[in-house]
Amino acid sequence: MGYLIDSFVAAIGLIFTFDREVQFAVWTSLYTSSCSIAFAALIGIPSGLMLGTNRFRGRRLIITLLNTLMALPTVVVGLVLFGLFSRQGPLGSLGLLFTPWAMIAGQTVLAAPIVANYVLAAVSGSDPRIMDTVYTLGASNVQAAVQLMKEIRFGVMAAVIAGFGRVIAEVGVAMMLGGNIRGTTRTMTTAIALETSKGEFAFGLSLGIVLLCVALLVNLFLNLLQQR
Amino acid sequence: MEPVISLKDILVEQGADFTLSVENLELMPRRIYALTGPNGAGKTTLLRIMALLTFPQQGSVSFAAGGSGLVDKRQNVTFVEQSPYLFDGSVSDNLAFGLKLRGVSRKEQKKHIAETLTLVGLAGFELRNSRKLSGGEVQRVALARALVLKPQILLLDEPTSNIDKKSLSSFETLLASLPNTGSTIVFATHDMSQPERLGAQMLRIENGRLLDRPRQSIDSVDTKQQEKRLWLNPLNLPGH
Repeated sequence: MGYLIDSFVAAIGLIFTFDREVQFAVWTSLYTSSCSIAFAALIGIPSGLMLGTNRFRGRRLIITLLNTLMALPTVVVGLVLFGLFSRQGPLGSLGLLFTPWAMIAGQTVLAAPIVANYVLAAVSGSDPRIMDTVYTLGASNVQAAVQLMKEIRFGVMAAVIAGFGRVIAEVGVAMMLGGNIRGTTRTMTTAIALETSKGEFAFGLSLGIVLLCVALLVNLFLNLLQQR
Repeated sequence: MEPVISLKDILVEQGADFTLSVENLELMPRRIYALTGPNGAGKTTLLRIMALLTFPQQGSVSFAAGGSGLVDKRQNVTFVEQSPYLFDGSVSDNLAFGLKLRGVSRKEQKKHIAETLTLVGLAGFELRNSRKLSGGEVQRVALARALVLKPQILLLDEPTSNIDKKSLSSFETLLASLPNTGSTIVFATHDMSQPERLGAQMLRIENGRLLDRPRQSIDSVDTKQQEKRLWLNPLNLPGH
């Protein structure tokens, strides 16, 4: 028990003394997660809107695929993209492997189906009169989609936050595509895994506390949105 | 005079129970038409076809004016549902929506919105939250949102269903005056005395079939006088 308390005190100390290693891991996590969620939103929001507002052949198949992708193991995404980005892979010449960009690509693949699915659910649950109203007032398809997005903005925000929650907590993609390189691609999750295995439990705990606080803030915000 | 909207050989089948079939329907400008009939007769479906919100399996809908694209065609006609949806925001935001799409300047928007709200008896409602309005007010705002666009054809699905008895008379007077603004009005109603009160031509519909054919001639309307009045006072506002 004493070991746990001592580690906890040391972890708090590391956070409040603004330890450089802790700071860097937090920054890398926030930076890569923010970039990936921005890309995922760019892909996922229009996809969700399109799937929600149109009926076409193969729609059900795409929705089933999206549901499957939501539960995609992070190491599988890491593995596939590793194959693409490795030197012998088709995108090897880009030199992205073990850079933050490779992590961002992988995390985008993880988050985009989540964002799309949440937006699809928001559209499906929205008032069916919205689209008729915007069309009868003279809107084009794009203008109608923009207005629909405004009407279901809390659902769209919830989609983005859920996607962010997924990528900031994942370890598989960051480890496989980032390589956990100190000062470059070491995130909170990969640092926790590495430092704890090296016996630096207090360091891992300090990052765990920060990660938990971020997750808590994300969920508080999500709850706040759902109450509106 | 050319009809503002023509429907030819329309056929809509919705499941095994309902078929709407309209051989030929031509509606003339600045007229008011009342679609009457029992529940499920096809009134709303016919209005939605005219609004280009429901597409028939067969037949054509053509307009006297407007471009060839769907968006251009839809800008000729505005549909107000029986239970209208107001966008989240203020009353002014709702009325500005269609004006923004048509590239109307902010200054002009403000002017048109104030005029139209006065017309529907909601002067000063610009900043009111659309989610905090009564049923009757929602119906009036939805009507104002359509009127502000000065559509060639205005389609109203049971427009007085949420209006209380006290306001009904003034609301009906407003509806009856709308052809003076240049619009052709088609409204669905269950109230069999309403068409007469509004001076509307009756289009009875039963089991998905139109029983009446609209008259083509313009009775008792001095067209030149009407046009002059419209030019001077497009919204028929008092004081012009």
